[in-house]
Amino acid sequence: MLAASSSTIAFPVLTSLVAVPLVGAALVIFFGRARQEWTKLTALLTSVTTGAISLWVLQAFDSSDAGFQFVSQHEWITAWGISWHLGIDGISLFLVVLTGVLFPLVIAGVDPHHDERPYLAWLLVLEAGVMGSFISLDLFLFFVFFEIVLVPMYFLIGGWGYDQRVYAATKFFLFTMTGSAFLLVGIVATALLSRESVGSVTFDVVALAENGALNVTQGRWLFVAFAIAFAVKVPLFPVHTWLPDAHTQAPTAGSVILAGVLLKMGTYGLLRFGVYLFPEASVWARPALYTLAVIGIIYGAIAATMQTDLKRLVAYSSVAHLGFIVLGTFALTDQAVTGGVMQMVNHGVSTSALFLLVGMIYERRHTRQIAELRGLQQVAPVFAGFFMIVMLSSIGLPGLNGFVGEFLILIGSFDTARWWVIVATTGVILAALYLLWAYQRVFHGEVDDANRGFADLRLREGALLLVFVAVIGFTGVYPKPMLSRIEPSVNALIEHVESRTDYQQPAQGEAGK
Amino acid sequence: MDLTGDFIAPSTDWYALAPYIVLLAGALVLLLVGSLTPRWPRGWYAMLTALTAGTAGVVASLQFAALADEAPRSLMKGVLAHDRFGLLAVIAICVAVIITSMMASDAAGLDGAQTDSLEPFSLLLVAALGAAIMVTAHDLVVSFLGIEILSISLYVLAASDRRRVASHEAGLKYFVLGGFSSAFLLYGIALVYGTTGQTNLGGIAVVLADEVTLPRNDAMLLAGVALLLVGFAFKVSLVPFHSWTPDVYHGAPTYVTGFMASLGKVAAIVALVRLFVIAFPARADDWRPAVFILAVLTLVVGSVLAIVQTDVKRMLAYSSISHAGFMLVGLEAAGHIGSSSASSGTSSTLIYVVLYAVLALGSFAAVSVVSQAASVVGPTNATSLDAFKGVAKTNPVFALGFTVLLLAQAGVPLTSGFVAKFGVIRAAVSTESYVLAVLAMVSAVIAAYLYLRIMVSMWLSESSSARIPLRPVARLTMFVTVAITLVLGVLPTFVLRLSDTLIFFIR
Amino acid sequence: MTDLVWLVPFLPLVGGLTLMVFGARIGEPRTGWLATLMSASSFVLTVLVYFDLLGMPAEERSHVVSLFSWIPVGSLQIDFALLADPLSITMALFVTGIGSLIHLYSIGYMHGDPKFSKFFLYLNLFVFSMLALVLGENLVVTFLGWEGVGACSYFLISFWHTRESAAVAGKKAFVTNRIGDWGVMTAMFVAFSVVGSVSYKAINEAAQEGTISRSAVSAIAILLFVGACGKSAQLPLYFWLPDAMEGPTPVSALIHAATMVTAGVFLMTRVGPVLAESYGWVPDTVAVVGAATALFAATIAVAQHDIKRVLAYSTVSQLGFMFLAVGSGAYVAAMFHMVTHSFFKALLFLGSGSVIHGLHHEQDMRKMGALRAAMPVTALTFIIGWLAIAGVPPFAGFWSKDEILLYVYADNRLLYAIGMVTALLTAYYMTRQVILVFFGEARWHDASGEHGAHGDFRPHESPKVMLVPLVVLSVLSVVGGGMQLPFSKDLHFLGHWLEPVVEEAERSIKGTWADENKYVLLGVAVVVALAGIALSVAAYAKRRLPAVEPTVLENAWFYDATVARLVGGPGAASFRGVTTFDARVVDGAVNGAGAVARGLGGVVRRSQTGFVRAYAVFIALGAVVLLAWFVWRGWLA
Repeated sequence: MLAASSSTIAFPVLTSLVAVPLVGAALVIFFGRARQEWTKLTALLTSVTTGAISLWVLQAFDSSDAGFQFVSQHEWITAWGISWHLGIDGISLFLVVLTGVLFPLVIAGVDPHHDERPYLAWLLVLEAGVMGSFISLDLFLFFVFFEIVLVPMYFLIGGWGYDQRVYAATKFFLFTMTGSAFLLVGIVATALLSRESVGSVTFDVVALAENGALNVTQGRWLFVAFAIAFAVKVPLFPVHTWLPDAHTQAPTAGSVILAGVLLKMGTYGLLRFGVYLFPEASVWARPALYTLAVIGIIYGAIAATMQTDLKRLVAYSSVAHLGFIVLGTFALTDQAVTGGVMQMVNHGVSTSALFLLVGMIYERRHTRQIAELRGLQQVAPVFAGFFMIVMLSSIGLPGLNGFVGEFLILIGSFDTARWWVIVATTGVILAALYLLWAYQRVFHGEVDDANRGFADLRLREGALLLVFVAVIGFTGVYPKPMLSRIEPSVNALIEHVESRTDYQQPAQGEAGK
Repeated sequence: MDLTGDFIAPSTDWYALAPYIVLLAGALVLLLVGSLTPRWPRGWYAMLTALTAGTAGVVASLQFAALADEAPRSLMKGVLAHDRFGLLAVIAICVAVIITSMMASDAAGLDGAQTDSLEPFSLLLVAALGAAIMVTAHDLVVSFLGIEILSISLYVLAASDRRRVASHEAGLKYFVLGGFSSAFLLYGIALVYGTTGQTNLGGIAVVLADEVTLPRNDAMLLAGVALLLVGFAFKVSLVPFHSWTPDVYHGAPTYVTGFMASLGKVAAIVALVRLFVIAFPARADDWRPAVFILAVLTLVVGSVLAIVQTDVKRMLAYSSISHAGFMLVGLEAAGHIGSSSASSGTSSTLIYVVLYAVLALGSFAAVSVVSQAASVVGPTNATSLDAFKGVAKTNPVFALGFTVLLLAQAGVPLTSGFVAKFGVIRAAVSTESYVLAVLAMVSAVIAAYLYLRIMVSMWLSESSSARIPLRPVARLTMFVTVAITLVLGVLPTFVLRLSDTLIFFIR
Repeated sequence: MTDLVWLVPFLPLVGGLTLMVFGARIGEPRTGWLATLMSASSFVLTVLVYFDLLGMPAEERSHVVSLFSWIPVGSLQIDFALLADPLSITMALFVTGIGSLIHLYSIGYMHGDPKFSKFFLYLNLFVFSMLALVLGENLVVTFLGWEGVGACSYFLISFWHTRESAAVAGKKAFVTNRIGDWGVMTAMFVAFSVVGSVSYKAINEAAQEGTISRSAVSAIAILLFVGACGKSAQLPLYFWLPDAMEGPTPVSALIHAATMVTAGVFLMTRVGPVLAESYGWVPDTVAVVGAATALFAATIAVAQHDIKRVLAYSTVSQLGFMFLAVGSGAYVAAMFHMVTHSFFKALLFLGSGSVIHGLHHEQDMRKMGALRAAMPVTALTFIIGWLAIAGVPPFAGFWSKDEILLYVYADNRLLYAIGMVTALLTAYYMTRQVILVFFGEARWHDASGEHGAHGDFRPHESPKVMLVPLVVLSVLSVVGGGMQLPFSKDLHFLGHWLEPVVEEAERSIKGTWADENKYVLLGVAVVVALAGIALSVAAYAKRRLPAVEPTVLENAWFYDATVARLVGGPGAASFRGVTTFDARVVDGAVNGAGAVARGLGGVVRRSQTGFVRAYAVFIALGAVVLLAWFVWRGWLA
């Protein structure tokens, strides 16, 4: 996270991560018209290419380097000190990979009910936007991606969603845009107020973070502005209510992407911009954020327990899970932040899989109401098995991915946020409660006539889920490769905070005294 | 006795005056030749109008380019300013005329008429002349002259749709209220002159700058400023002086509405900014708060009222009001005279209004396309939201274009609308009026709801009408405006480069 | 050899995964045999490891095998490491041993079940998890197993998930355990915070060397005990265990009697030093909770009619004994009782399973009786188990229970008294069960119709595959006591074996009155046991005494019901409250804002009358206000 000096190479890898999907979208729109049957193929190919690039980045990533890699920087709006500045580090790496992998899976695995062409085009635009916001190192550029994402998502929810779709889409758009209102002002102010200390007006994140010298008041106000925007995106209590509606009304693909990567833009933003740009403020604001996070954990879990709609249930569980991530982010210890970053990915994997499964249930039964489902395990054992594994990962069973992140967050936060952690840990109980209860009502019991015809997993669905389960299993048993790539950057970030504030990361055990 | 003796005609820089002359000539030619010759075939009036405006525009652009290395100067004994600030506005005005004239003949041709009346076209040119004078006027009286020329031609244009009563009503309303506001304006000029003994903006500034020359009577002077502000507030349609806007915008023929929203706004805003920034910097601390309040009111009321409308033209009318609010944010920033970044306020306002003009032209073109189709179908309110139901199903490309324009108005990144908003917000922030900046952005969110509603009815509701016929003119207009919107949205550097040079107007 | 200890858990895992993928294709009964083979071979391995350790000098009998670095982040370095030491191997021995037997038994018991292979998949996974639990070198690996066994028990309790009650019971078990897990997790956090590591070695050493504050030590101990209460069904978290009997009987035998439920005791033993170093009230709490649970459960067992529920409550009670021992610092005794208990309780459960099997899934003891003729082997073995648990010498249970009571006496007379009462009750209700099931008159003819048995209904003895385990276990229940005999130090085989692990924590009763007169206490214990049996015989066989089965005991002191009512009443209500709050208040605010904006628009809109005069008025008013402002400013200047 220090100076973005490291490996710059000829081929603009990161730029292509944004460009390829856009090109794909264009192809789908313009050539798809002539050849309907190629539409899907084009979309799939481009998204697969993007995924392949992201995987290449993963393997080429130098885990020993905490700084930004594959940096590409070009002039853009020089008049305002804005540049096309992309880079990737341990914090963003796996989010990029997740995005790269998730989209092709969704495109391959889920078909829209109508108007395939615009649907795929919007998906690809969305992918470009998400990718961009994870790799941009220029505040303005980030804002552009952060904001542009709303448009495709709006149309995906509004165009291919369920009965309440327009309400949900509008709510989503306006809610997030309200947050962005503060973000934009905050961004501009950050750049302008750091004018003297940086030497010129620039939106370059690294420059601002390393050289920017805001006074305490400025820093805190700006942090608040940023935090509001990201809190909406995460979403944190009490600005979370767009999420259940958006999730429930969105088409399966929409929910998957929303839960998988879109929400992470919030947590990622808090870490990359909130903490990195405003160390003092983020240390100062920790109690507030801990509290909101923990409220989210308990509150989300409780709300999830009482839901009657499977999708809403999963949506509220997201509120709870992301509470953990925020808690970890601001605990500002090596373990907690690393765990937080990992949990972003884990939650992406597990919850996406859950949404896929719920989507499959809807495909078969045309209902998401728990009350109308019964005894599915009897007629669809394999389906139930997959659901169980994913569910256990979401509950945080050791040996599956969910545990590692949650555990790291909690154990890491214990020293800095003791009492909050003690409360947050009860969220683990509740997670078991709402998921198992839902599972019991949906899969257990004697199957009734309405559900007797429930078809077990089809080959394509199985293949799709197998990928998720494989990841769930592998990261749960052997998270080291992931952790070893995340940690250096996290470490650098924390050192950055320590060097600019009186905050010191607590040492454990002997060293603690 | 012989006064002519000591009368020295001002040395005239004819080239610098070329744009005005061209516009005037065009208007006269059109009127005279047009009325003396039998009716021309359809489109020829429009052609000539466009040609005239085009010529004026080209000349203005050349002058604009030339000013890169010349110092800005004043013409006609300093009543007209010859600077980039004004010329950019003139160019925008000419573009507006070109597009509007084409849309006008397009609209006229709709009811199968083989010919179209020439008055609207000549009026377009006259209005353009008035606007051009307004934006460059460096003297209160001349400024008033321009305002009246523009206003009167707009009154007539608003009423020009003989078939619709609403159009007549709009014209009349506009006329009465316009006259009312002009009175304020005139009285304001009088008061300012009375206290400063100057009508020349630069002169006023000089007088106000040094306190000794005359015993200051601030109460009277500021009263004058207040009245001037009222007059301009009416033209720019700031809350609470806005109430004519929705009715007139709604009643007037759609192409005229587009014309008002683009050319009218540009002229009024530029004149306002020029007046306050050049003439009254010394009293900035007095008028800035007023501007602040007007901005807030305009932003909030404009956007809040916009979302309860059911008629697209009215919606866009209110959205134009809230956009005016944004422009005031820029002016407020420009009012921080001491601050180094006050200038960015001035330039950002100009950029905003110009970019908005493009959006307005495109949007109203789109509206007129749909409304024409709808009015062909039935008597139902041709511009109601329902007319847009399912347009995306029948005309996807058109819908996409319109959507881009709407998103741009909502201020979504990668569109010129965002560049404009960003510039203004940047100016506001750099002068540390954060509250105004946040308020502006939040009201933008409220307004966004209105654009979403239009998008919803286009994309997300079932198609009601058949495919809408898109004439080449409409196509072209949409294409051009959308193209500008996107190109400047992605690569705004060009505009921003200009904006730095815009502030070197004469003092 | 000890380096291969990782194979011990690995084999069942492989078995489980194989069945997960190919289970359906392999089919019955081969899946059963495969699973059994896996479990058995890991038993053999464990035995080899055992002898390997035995070959080493006592102080070297602690062998860490680190497989790979699991969760390494900065100062937190968690390896996936296994620890082979006397304690873990003792556990592993009877887990794999009894596990294998029960696998074998299940082949017969689950015969014909449509989900036959699934069952063995779960069993294998369970054995793996249990082994991870006991062999774990640090708290996190143990926690992996800890949660794993929880999950498997969930699967197996709700194995017949079409039965609503089974589904509910499974969920109940998992969630209740999770409450305990809160304790374990928090304990880990504290440990990492103060010790900087989560490995037992580090924590125990830190506790002994006093490098960490006493309060921290106590916190770790008490939090772990919370977890133990969940897993080992102690008050107040015991109530999931009786319901867990919804699962197939072999499951009850393996998970809810022999192995999983003893995890809590194991954990406390593992961190014995921590418990020893913490404030006095911590071990006292453990002891008291143990004693209370023991008595509480025993009283309930007296009035149960379901053959398995009796055993379930008796399990809870016996586990109470073990915690009583741990709390009194008698770790060896606790382990001793744990092992013997696993023998005879598994035996009893399998016996009852055999009975249930023979009676076509009849579980109500009131519909049994006189079965000793119908199923002789089952009867004989069951009787052995009964004698063992009742504490009749020379059966295994007698020795272990006595050892515990010995230490308890030395520690606290009151708790000793409670222990004695419990022992009496134990003898009483077990005798009652034996009489009701195997003696008296047959009460199952009438009930024959219900069980879908065709023609004349005869209870039948179970197949060999089920009887072999019974026999083996009954033998163990007889000779089990031999591993730790009170007569001389040299006969404390288990004690010596475990010494390296527990020496730090084990409290010595040398020279106390109890130690001097342990034979007196032995005698008392025998008398009490026999008294209990006598009473029961008098009540149920001879009918001299009335059978005391008050409903309050039959309903387990209404504890479960009360909890249920609390959860269902206030609990659910508060949850509903939160949800309503979310919909009404939080989301309401959001939609409200929108409504306000629209409402405001509606109001202001009215000003848009369309009348020029109105507009003119606005303009005039606006002008006045502006004038006022500017003029005022003017006066100021």
